[in-house]
Amino acid sequence: MDINYQFLIKTFYLVLAAVPTTLNITAVSLLIAMPLAFYLAVIRLRPGKYIQIIISGYITFVRGTPIVLQILIIYSILPSFLNSVAKGFALEVNVFDWNPIIYAYIVFSLNTTALLCEVFRSALASINKGQLEAALCAGMTTVQAYRHIIVPQALVVAMPNICNITVKLIKGTSLAFLMTVKDMTAVAKIAASYGYNYIEAYMDVFAGYVIVCSVVQVAFAFAERHVGKFRFIK
Amino acid sequence: MLKITNVHKKYNDNEVLKGVDINVAKGDVVVILGPSGSGKTTLLRCINFLDHADQGEMEFDEYHLQMHSATADEVRKIRQKTAFVFQNYNLFQNKTVLENVTAGLIIGRNIEKNEAVDLALKALAKVGLSDRVNFYPSQLSGGQQQRVGIARAIAVQPDVILFDEPTSALDPELISEVLGIIKQLAEEGTTMIIVTHEMKFAADVATHVIFMADGNIVEEGRPKDIFQSPKEERTRNFLRRVLPQVEYNI
Repeated sequence: MDINYQFLIKTFYLVLAAVPTTLNITAVSLLIAMPLAFYLAVIRLRPGKYIQIIISGYITFVRGTPIVLQILIIYSILPSFLNSVAKGFALEVNVFDWNPIIYAYIVFSLNTTALLCEVFRSALASINKGQLEAALCAGMTTVQAYRHIIVPQALVVAMPNICNITVKLIKGTSLAFLMTVKDMTAVAKIAASYGYNYIEAYMDVFAGYVIVCSVVQVAFAFAERHVGKFRFIK
Repeated sequence: MLKITNVHKKYNDNEVLKGVDINVAKGDVVVILGPSGSGKTTLLRCINFLDHADQGEMEFDEYHLQMHSATADEVRKIRQKTAFVFQNYNLFQNKTVLENVTAGLIIGRNIEKNEAVDLALKALAKVGLSDRVNFYPSQLSGGQQQRVGIARAIAVQPDVILFDEPTSALDPELISEVLGIIKQLAEEGTTMIIVTHEMKFAADVATHVIFMADGNIVEEGRPKDIFQSPKEERTRNFLRRVLPQVEYNI
């Protein structure tokens, strides 16, 4: 097996140059998903039958289908749907001109919201009810109690799972090439297709993801120690 | 100062409180006694709306409200006038001892930080924990945690402090350090309502004793009367079982 080292190195730089795109999709999806997921998690912990069925239906749907399928469905259906909606309101927008990264944001946000919702729900449920009661007795409002007492504690519980989901999301964005987004994977595949140097290209992408995911995991380990300092002191 | 009348509370079909009245004047130390399941804790929790009574009226200084229809605003105002000491302490796990005490002042009552820290340090000195201000709850013993719980309650200078079996989760050695502090508060004239199973302590600190059974107040009065000459059979039975008796014949 001959390895084209020159191509390997050249493509590696291309892959590195596409890291911001991957991180961009990841970060935007997380930023959209986190508040949404938190809100859904709080709703899930309260009584209210119909809204529960809707939310758990959504979560079941997302968890029960491969992300490839979610991407294909949204990427093929949503643009036409949005287009007809725009037409219906007589709006002068051409959704087919949109940057495909917008569809990546939508798919990955919807997907991550469902997964994070369950993480937040279990983390919030793990905090003793007495913490909320004590906060209310101290004269706080429920919102203040969540902000100062419940969420900081739940976050520590949720951290390892948030890290998991983030790393999974980073790897998941490799499927964004299906939506013609030029992320790390897409860039390497395109470079390889000219001279059939797929082995080198895949090795580059492989290394790229290992580096990015490792950095993210180290960052989370630090963050976990920081938000959980009350737990680690002994 | 605080008067609640005709409090009813049901959990599903189980009627826990069947029309209870309590009247607390400033400086009173009201001790509520009774067997498990008699509704003592529920009554205490209804007073600051941790549990919502199905019926009942409350007069608390200038506030006069129906307990089942109290608005969120009214509930918060009542809670600002009271403090609660829990059986299992419920200290904020993510806050240091000092932050546990200042939280109710800074977050709950919008008091400026410097002033809050001063008040908190005074309260912590009172419970003898000045050397633990920067510790986290997980680093303290049960007795110390409950003393922080008491400091958290007195720092906000409430009109009345509610104690829900403050020593039930402690081992015998640690009980006395907590009871000592409560006794000191009683001597200083702090208004308190205490649910407890510590009979000797109850007899010592109470100005008024309430005996509850099956969701009703069976008997109430001065501690001397209740402990030495209870009128009701139910009270006598209870006291006979819980008070140590000298029954040896030599």
